[in-house]
Amino acid sequence: MTLNDRIFGILMLVLAVAYGWGATQFPEPFGGAESVGPETFPKVIAVVLALSSLYLIVKPDPDNAWPKGRIVLELVIAVLVLIAYTLLLEPLGFIVSTLLAVGTLCWRMGAAPVRAFVTGGVAGVVVFLLFTYALDLALPLGVLSVLEGS
Amino acid sequence: METLGYLMDGFGVALQPHNLMFALMGAFLGTLIGALPGLGPANGVAILIPLAFTLGLKPETALIMLTAVYAGAMYGGRISSILLNIPGDEPAMMTCLDGYPMAQKGKAAEALAISAIASFMGSLIATVGLIMLAPLLARFALTFGAAEYFALFVLAFATLGGITGKNPVKTILAAAIGLMIATVGIDSTGTQRYTFGSLHLYEGIDFIIAIVGLFAISELLFFIEDRAGGGKGPMIVNKLKLSWREVLAIMPTSIRGGVLGFIAGVLPGAGASLGSFISYTLEKKILGKKGSFGEGDPRGVAAPEAGNNGASSGALVPMLTLGVPGSGTTAVLLALLISMNITPGPLMFTQNADIVWGVIAALLIGNFLLLLLNIPMVGIFVKLLSVPPMYLLPIVTMVAFVGIYSISNSAFDLYFMVAFGVLGYFLRKLEIPLVPIILGLLLGPEMEKNLRHTLDIADGDWTALWDSGLAIGLWVVAIVGLILPVIVGPILRRRMQAAAGHGNQTD
Repeated sequence: MTLNDRIFGILMLVLAVAYGWGATQFPEPFGGAESVGPETFPKVIAVVLALSSLYLIVKPDPDNAWPKGRIVLELVIAVLVLIAYTLLLEPLGFIVSTLLAVGTLCWRMGAAPVRAFVTGGVAGVVVFLLFTYALDLALPLGVLSVLEGS
Repeated sequence: METLGYLMDGFGVALQPHNLMFALMGAFLGTLIGALPGLGPANGVAILIPLAFTLGLKPETALIMLTAVYAGAMYGGRISSILLNIPGDEPAMMTCLDGYPMAQKGKAAEALAISAIASFMGSLIATVGLIMLAPLLARFALTFGAAEYFALFVLAFATLGGITGKNPVKTILAAAIGLMIATVGIDSTGTQRYTFGSLHLYEGIDFIIAIVGLFAISELLFFIEDRAGGGKGPMIVNKLKLSWREVLAIMPTSIRGGVLGFIAGVLPGAGASLGSFISYTLEKKILGKKGSFGEGDPRGVAAPEAGNNGASSGALVPMLTLGVPGSGTTAVLLALLISMNITPGPLMFTQNADIVWGVIAALLIGNFLLLLLNIPMVGIFVKLLSVPPMYLLPIVTMVAFVGIYSISNSAFDLYFMVAFGVLGYFLRKLEIPLVPIILGLLLGPEMEKNLRHTLDIADGDWTALWDSGLAIGLWVVAIVGLILPVIVGPILRRRMQAAAGHGNQTD
């Protein structure tokens, strides 16, 4: 099958056209238009991208197999974990969110749950201490900030 | 003799205690990174860049540390080649051929020591080459005008896929994607381009976020897909018994390998893989029947290692003198330079002489450190390598998160990084190379500046781009560099495969 490259080629062709069209819409720079302006270089890139996408559509390479079933699920979980990590970093604080994120990732990659979350916790605490005391950089403490006051 | 004076000043910089400490740290981390299968040198340097920022290092210190990482990564690649028959990175492929048989004969420690010595020789020769060649090339590059620079950038892209590259069209496509991303933001005339009114995009997309996302996050996803979390099995190292005679016996091989590697590294489009391949094949030809190549000949370990390290130091020549990297890892080092507000290229040799020569001196010192680090401490690296990826990769990912977060303290950048990671995963699946994207991101602004400059002077006449003999020459090389792999590539790849397949049962 050679579907991957064809689809990607079509997507890139659309992108090239959109990008090239975008370049024609730039407002005229202050001081009037010149022979070369902000739009010149993007137009060149758009042409290059369009030509190479066309080539890909016409002469695609054989496909790599896409993952199936459970593995897709695992990949989606991993990406969701990373998004959740970002989301929770500030509210929960670095240590707790790292415990959860690294722990979940280790666990999903095949580690025993207890060892996975211990790894996450230890990594979180070590990096936090390293950043706070050795590097003098503040990472968010989040829910654990109650400990700070005491 | 001017050069020698600069080099002395360089040593003055590199030998400052804190610089020396960071060089040691870099060498250690680099070896570790190079040793981990999958986590190649470009990847490793990319993850550590944010760290250099967070530590608030001065440019020369940061660069010294990351140069040491770079040199260390080249050392590290051999550990898993020898012990497990799994190359840590592509150039280490040839080391498997004789390294693994040696390990099977119970001579793992000797193989590791020999490869460390050969790596050292290769780097040493290439660094001396760098010291001699770089100032000359830098002086020559001063004659370049805007048109020549534009042609040079095109050449860099054209040869990036390397002589062994697969589909040159995919390289071009990747470069175009990188250049497109680079145009986002406010341009030099103050025009907003592709910002969609979002304040976050005004300053453009930070290439460090893109690099870390594309490399580190996509690597995590690939490991999950391959279900490779369990690690590669136990590794045993025997006690080292190496005589001076054995060390002397590999010296001629190491020297030849180092010289060949250096040449391969300097030339556009060749790179470390070719360096190690050429030195191995040549050594096999020279020694012929006198050697037992493929069955654990020490010289078969020394040749590719010297070649690979020679090439990696050689690759710094075009990066430092022209500002045009020849490989993925040097591209990442270039990213560091640019983000430290240092413009690489010939002017760097006059304007930032202390940094350039500090780095070169650091490369020499780093090699001594690596040799010291690698012979007695190889056991520690082997232990750390036995930590299964299921613990290691999540932690690496976390380090990437902390690094990016601490640059700007903004969660927005982290989303961007994850998005780039997912993008990187899909692109790698489609066999779109990532390095041209990075290079496009890095060189985009300079490329556009030179294009505009050329066209402005010529009043919009596009033929000005190939108006001088030098520019025409560069264009020709670029075109040859793009077409040659299509013709020579398949033959060369088949040979490398054939050589690697020989005596390699698992693959």
